[in-house]
Amino acid sequence: MNMTGQGLGIGIGLAALGVGLGLGLIGYSALQGMARQPEAIGKLQTVMLIALAFVELVFLLTVFIVPGSMGAFNR
Amino acid sequence: MSGLLQTGLTLLASAEESHGEGGHHGTSFIGLFVYLGLTLLVLFVLLQSAKMGFKDRVFTRKTTSWFEQVYLFVEGMCVNIIGPHGRKYTPFIITFWLVIFVSNAVGLFMASTPTADLGFNLGMALISIGYVQWEGIGTNGVFGHFKHFAGPKLGLAMIPITLMIFVIEIISEAIKNVSLSLRLFGNIEGGHLAVEAMNKLGEPFYIPIGFFLLPIKVLTVVVQALIFTLLTCVYISLVTHHEEEHHDEHALEPTHA
Repeated sequence: MNMTGQGLGIGIGLAALGVGLGLGLIGYSALQGMARQPEAIGKLQTVMLIALAFVELVFLLTVFIVPGSMGAFNR
Repeated sequence: MSGLLQTGLTLLASAEESHGEGGHHGTSFIGLFVYLGLTLLVLFVLLQSAKMGFKDRVFTRKTTSWFEQVYLFVEGMCVNIIGPHGRKYTPFIITFWLVIFVSNAVGLFMASTPTADLGFNLGMALISIGYVQWEGIGTNGVFGHFKHFAGPKLGLAMIPITLMIFVIEIISEAIKNVSLSLRLFGNIEGGHLAVEAMNKLGEPFYIPIGFFLLPIKVLTVVVQALIFTLLTCVYISLVTHHEEEHHDEHALEPTHA
């Protein structure tokens, strides 16, 4: 494994750290809102899922774009 | 700017290419159609079975009541997000829901699936976003739809900023295709890769550890089908909700005052 591989590992790990924190925050606040206002569960779930999707996309973009831009896919 | 976009697209293409030839994960062109045919076969058998229940006064078939529940769920989602005029988009949305859900579910039992292929997902995203543009033009007219991209009215002195907002909005509209397709592809293919990696971990002990990821994969199957349709609903509501809003404001003003 060369330097590119090591950098990729660290970078993707950092991206996973950030996205994990973001997903946890979304789940935390959504759960709190649902517990305080059980009648709003439907609306909260919808908005929570949309937010989850956008945060998740950041990690997917990291996984697919960054290795490509570092030349990991070139043979 | 076009150079940047081109670089991004070639990177995506090369990622997909190396994915296909790097192992037995990705599907070839023929393989994609085999799995797509399998998905459609499952879907058509289920739908035909549900349709045969229509002849009775009461739903005697289980599948008919299942599909009724699915339809009511998707219709409720459309009406909740798009508004009262959202009921007419239900057939469009439910087609996406069924295709994505069934092909994800096929992926639980098979080595590959149509949604684990970036090309198929990009096609679906292009259809979705293209329909959103069509609906926006149909609702607001061509000029109104493009005025919608330019943001709020800022006056004559702010024309450069309006131009910049316009360009950025056009780019973000194009990126929506990539984001929709990449999200679905990454989740489904990522699940497959995680199972492979965990199986490799348990190989010395002859334990398929990846099997224990199955609950999470089942959750992903439902949530990804939901998210794709949910985001399509949100995009439709963004381009079509303007006139209804004004009506609502006028209707609500007396009660507030």
